[in-house]
Amino acid sequence: MGISVKGLVKRYGGKIVVDHIDFEIADGELVSLLGPSGCGKTTTLRCIAGLETPDSGRIEIDGRIVFDSATGRVVEPYHRDIGMVFQSYAIWPHMTVFENVAFPLRVRRTPSAEIASRVTRALERVGLGAFHDRSSQQLSGGQQQRVAVARAIVHEPAVLLFDEPLSNLDARLRDETRAEIRQLQRDLKVSTIYVTHDQTEALSLSDRILVMHDGLIRQLGTPEAIYARPNDVFVAEVVGTANFFNVTVAADGHAVTPAGAIFHSSLPASPGPARAMIRPDRLTISVHSEPKTQPNTLQGTIRQRLFMGGHYEYVVETEAGSPRVLSSDEFAEKTAVALSFNPEDCIFLPA
Amino acid sequence: MSGARSSAFSDRSGAWLINAIFIATFLITAFLIVTPLAALLHGSFQTGSPGTKTVFTLQNWADLGSGNIIHTLLTTCFISIVTAVFSTVGGAGLTWLVYRSDFRFKRGLVAAVGLSFFFPGFILAMAWVILASPGGIFNDLLDIEWLQFDIYSITGIIWIQILHIIPFAFFTLRGPMISMDSSLEEAGYASGANPWAVIRRVTLPLMIFPLLSSLLLCFVLSVEQFAIPAMVGIPGHVNTLATELYLLTSFSPPNTGLAAAVGLAMSAVTGLSIFLQRQIVRRHSAPTVTGRGYRVRPLALGRWRFLADGICLFYVAMSFIIPALALIYTSGIKFFVANPFEAAWTWRNYVQIWQSPGTIRSFWNTLVVAGGGAVLGLTLGTLIAWFTHRLKPRGYRTLDALASLPFGIPGIVIGLGFLWSYVYLPIYGTLLVLVFCYVARFLPYATETIGAQIVQLDKSLEEAAWASGANRLASFRRIILPLLRPALQSGYFLLFIAYFREIAAAALIYTASTQVLSISIWAFFENANWGVASALSIVTTVITVALMATVMRAPLKV
Repeated sequence: MGISVKGLVKRYGGKIVVDHIDFEIADGELVSLLGPSGCGKTTTLRCIAGLETPDSGRIEIDGRIVFDSATGRVVEPYHRDIGMVFQSYAIWPHMTVFENVAFPLRVRRTPSAEIASRVTRALERVGLGAFHDRSSQQLSGGQQQRVAVARAIVHEPAVLLFDEPLSNLDARLRDETRAEIRQLQRDLKVSTIYVTHDQTEALSLSDRILVMHDGLIRQLGTPEAIYARPNDVFVAEVVGTANFFNVTVAADGHAVTPAGAIFHSSLPASPGPARAMIRPDRLTISVHSEPKTQPNTLQGTIRQRLFMGGHYEYVVETEAGSPRVLSSDEFAEKTAVALSFNPEDCIFLPA
Repeated sequence: MSGARSSAFSDRSGAWLINAIFIATFLITAFLIVTPLAALLHGSFQTGSPGTKTVFTLQNWADLGSGNIIHTLLTTCFISIVTAVFSTVGGAGLTWLVYRSDFRFKRGLVAAVGLSFFFPGFILAMAWVILASPGGIFNDLLDIEWLQFDIYSITGIIWIQILHIIPFAFFTLRGPMISMDSSLEEAGYASGANPWAVIRRVTLPLMIFPLLSSLLLCFVLSVEQFAIPAMVGIPGHVNTLATELYLLTSFSPPNTGLAAAVGLAMSAVTGLSIFLQRQIVRRHSAPTVTGRGYRVRPLALGRWRFLADGICLFYVAMSFIIPALALIYTSGIKFFVANPFEAAWTWRNYVQIWQSPGTIRSFWNTLVVAGGGAVLGLTLGTLIAWFTHRLKPRGYRTLDALASLPFGIPGIVIGLGFLWSYVYLPIYGTLLVLVFCYVARFLPYATETIGAQIVQLDKSLEEAAWASGANRLASFRRIILPLLRPALQSGYFLLFIAYFREIAAAALIYTASTQVLSISIWAFFENANWGVASALSIVTTVITVALMATVMRAPLKV
């Protein structure tokens, strides 16, 4: 059930865009494909939708094989039972809001009484109950986006596919819509793939996140796991701001910075050169009092202070580097401070 | 690549229909375009005319090197280069006045240029014969030795062609001019450059490739121009390749083989120019605006504005107003005299149109060919554009190349190709031959107009329909076609007008029963019946302009 992708390969010309990737999405699960532009996430989504034909691999939707290079089976997008929200929304300008949403039902030859009630329900669901007869030309960006969502869910598809649906909205509307999409998906319990390059969207929406880079899957896991325990430096940076320190891990599991500071981590690491990753919100800042060196402590000076509203963001200059630190306490610039962290908030990543 | 392309069609349900449509489109296009070219190639190696017994020969190609043909080639090149340079400079000047200066009569100027654009070349040429032939109105009224102007000359051909082609340069240059990022010029002013320095150092360098492209297009238009050199060149014993080809075919003893060789050589010149032009357009499009809605502050002309007004008025007068007045005058008098005060006024020329069954017939023929033919041409063009821009099945590049080939082939040459090939087909001597010939000749008009619109349509509009469960044909019908409606409308009337006034392609293939209006006008004119020719020209022009005014508003917008 859900979606299953096996050995998916897609090339453009000679360039490989999706490189033998495998993953499964459970029934009713929402998985984000997260990565920088050109990482292959949109191509993967379009392969699942049937808008691109992969070079090899196998794709199943809801237990039905829709693409299999071994047997040459290719199911056209219009026979895949999908609902898709495009980045551009792709609202047909020559149709009213009602007709746009009714289209998937019309092509399925649904009786017109049923069309009316289902379109109404879909529009109400996205908060556009009163927009029936509005020309699609008179809609704001946010309203177009909602019409696109209504059109994608009206025929109760087996899977929902979102291609960066919020990237054309302004910040405030984006936060609002994000929460609504999450609620909608929970209510419908439909397997969903959500392509985005925005870490906040991925973290807040997803049951699981699939981080892609250069056509490969770098990590697949829950938002919490990916945020706290990324596989590598790339993943650590994709899902949020990260501070890195060059360290050498000794055989006993402790790490030492070139300047001599000692880092302990509660997570296992292999000996050798590594990069210690600590999130800015996991560093505790305190006024520097004692000069003696403790494990998981760095001495430094506040170089820059940015007031962010609910908290401050500091750049602290230390011998090991200049990490960013979030804190609700106020310190003056040039104050000498100590930074400390818990062993479970420090992770050693391959250098 | 090809595997992925073809598998886009591998779904069994309904795909066979799309496949069948593609194959039909491909075959019809290939038939329309390849047959006349192949026939020309074949003909250029034969002695004698199509339909007679012929033998293989290399003589025709050898004759291309004869002094006579070389002289004609050089004349054609001279005429076309001068025409292209003046037309492009003129067109660029008008574009600049309308889109960059505070010229006072922008709307009027654009409307007037639009009028000249739709004023058929053969009618313009005819008007200028009436005006400036040795016994014409100007020469007769201005009875001064050194002001006498003989339109039957190289200068005459160039003069009429420049008037005729300037609007074309204007409409090709205004796109790049409008879409050019005006902040680039504003940055020039902000850096302290005066207007002339900005024109010289920013605008011109940025427009250099559009200008080059316009130069090449005007050159091609001039090389393939048939009506103007036929009407003023043949009487003055000045031949271009187009008229040479016509004379070789139409007067006995015909040398159709040599004509075919001349036609192919001509196509090589125009084809190469078009190829260069497309390379330029593809590689060097001018930097375009990034979504800002306001235009550059128009440059104040100051005291130069009277000069600008004067030049524009002169152009409009020469290219449309005076020729039209000359035709109206000639159509209303019994016998041609230059002085209106000595003229005997009459309606009989107009009456004669309705009383001549031949003319009425050519009127209906033209309506059938233009009205019906445009439906065929537009349908074919739309399908080609959809396949080549969107579905891209295997073979779409070949289809695209085939469909754009007529761009590089002069009308008279396509006509000759149809003459060579269709003599053997049962439809020869019917209007269908004309329809096929026009569809082939103007196929790029259709594919470009529709293609430009299809490219504008966000691809996801169609993909959203697929994702919603509509198959390709249903998506085409319910999404693409409705969204293309404006382009389909203007495409239809563009084709209608092109077919309506075409003369070059028809000159060689019409028969007594398939005569069209343009040919009738020409025939009346050749028989020195200037009155009826003028009356018929005015009727034709009124129809063309009325159509343009009602439907094709787009080119008239400032």
